[in-house]
Amino acid sequence: MSQKKRILLAVVLIVVLIAAVLLLESLRAKIIAKDRDVSLNPGDIPVYMDGELLAAVNSEDLADLQMVQFTDAEQGKVQEGWLVMDIMEKYFETRHFSDSLKFVISSSSRNKSIALTWDEIAEPENMVMFDLSGRGTLKLVSKLEKLDIRDEWIQDVDKIEIIEP
Amino acid sequence: MKKTYFSTFQLIVLTLFSALIVAAKIALRLPIQLPGHSGIFWMAIIIVATRVVPKKGAASFVGIVSGIMATFMGLGDFGSLNTLISYSAIGIGVDLALLLLGNPENLVVATFAGIIGHFAKFLVKWAFGAISGAPLGFVALGLARSIISYLVFGALGGLLGGLTLLALKKAGFFTYLAEKK
Repeated sequence: MSQKKRILLAVVLIVVLIAAVLLLESLRAKIIAKDRDVSLNPGDIPVYMDGELLAAVNSEDLADLQMVQFTDAEQGKVQEGWLVMDIMEKYFETRHFSDSLKFVISSSSRNKSIALTWDEIAEPENMVMFDLSGRGTLKLVSKLEKLDIRDEWIQDVDKIEIIEP
Repeated sequence: MKKTYFSTFQLIVLTLFSALIVAAKIALRLPIQLPGHSGIFWMAIIIVATRVVPKKGAASFVGIVSGIMATFMGLGDFGSLNTLISYSAIGIGVDLALLLLGNPENLVVATFAGIIGHFAKFLVKWAFGAISGAPLGFVALGLARSIISYLVFGALGGLLGGLTLLALKKAGFFTYLAEKK
C-alpha cells in the first residue's frame, strides 16, 4: 500500500472514531434525558429545595458572569471558572439567604458530595467556584481547607440541593 | 543465552523516556486552559522514543511503564485505573499508528501518530466517563471542543517529535547510537 493510501486510511479511521464518539454521546444524552426532570436540558445542573426544582444552572445564563481564577496550592494548577455565589445571585435573591443555609453539591457518577453553608460560599476569599473540566463538566474547587485538594474536589457536579437548617 | 526482544540497553532507554513523560507531566505547566494540552510534550517524547528504539512495541512499553509510574505517583483526576489505562493507550495508539504509517522521521507520519496516540487517550477518558455515568458537558459543544483540542495538541506533539528526530539525525545521534550497540 502506498504512503498516501496509508495516510488516507489513518484520516478515515480518525473520522470514524470521532463520529462514533459523537453518536454514542448523543445516544447517552437521550438516555439521561429520560431519567431527568422534563424541564431540564442536557448538561443543566438542577438546584433543588425539599425535592422541588428551583432552578437549572446552564452555561448560557453564566455567559455574562465574570470568570475568576486561582492557583491551587496542591498541584499549582490554575483553576478557572464561576464563583458559586455569583451563580446563585443569578437565579435567587441571595440577600434573603441566611448564613447557615446549607448547600449540598454532589456528583452522582463520582458518588461524592459536600455540604457548604452560605457564609462559606459568599466569602470571596474562599473562592468557592466551579471550574470547567477538560470534559466540559463542572468541578467544585475552593481555597477552603475542606475543599482545597484534588481528593476533596467534587468533579462532574450534577446536582445542587439547598437545605434550610 | 536466550535473546530477549528488547536489549537491556533499550529497556533502560525506554524506561528513561517513561520517567521523562511523568516528570514533564508534573513539572511542565502550560498556562492554557484547554483539555489535553500536555499532549504537546507527551507525544513528542513518545515519537522520539519510537525512533531511538526502533522496534514494534517500544511506544507501548513507554506508555505502560509511564502509566505505572504515574499511578504510583497519584497523577490524574479520575483514579489510578484510569491513569494506567490512558497512559498505556497513548503508547499502544502510537504503535498501531506507526504499524500502519511507517517511519516517524516523516513529519506527516509523526503528526498522524501523535494525533492517533493522543486521541486514544481521549477515548479512554471519555469511555470511563460514559461508563461511570458522568454528566453531559455543561457548556455547549463541550465534547467537540475537547476532541478538537486533543487532536490539535496530539498533532503538535507529533510534529515536535518528528522535528526532534530530524534534528537528532542531522546531529549524527543515530549513527552514534548504532556504534554504541
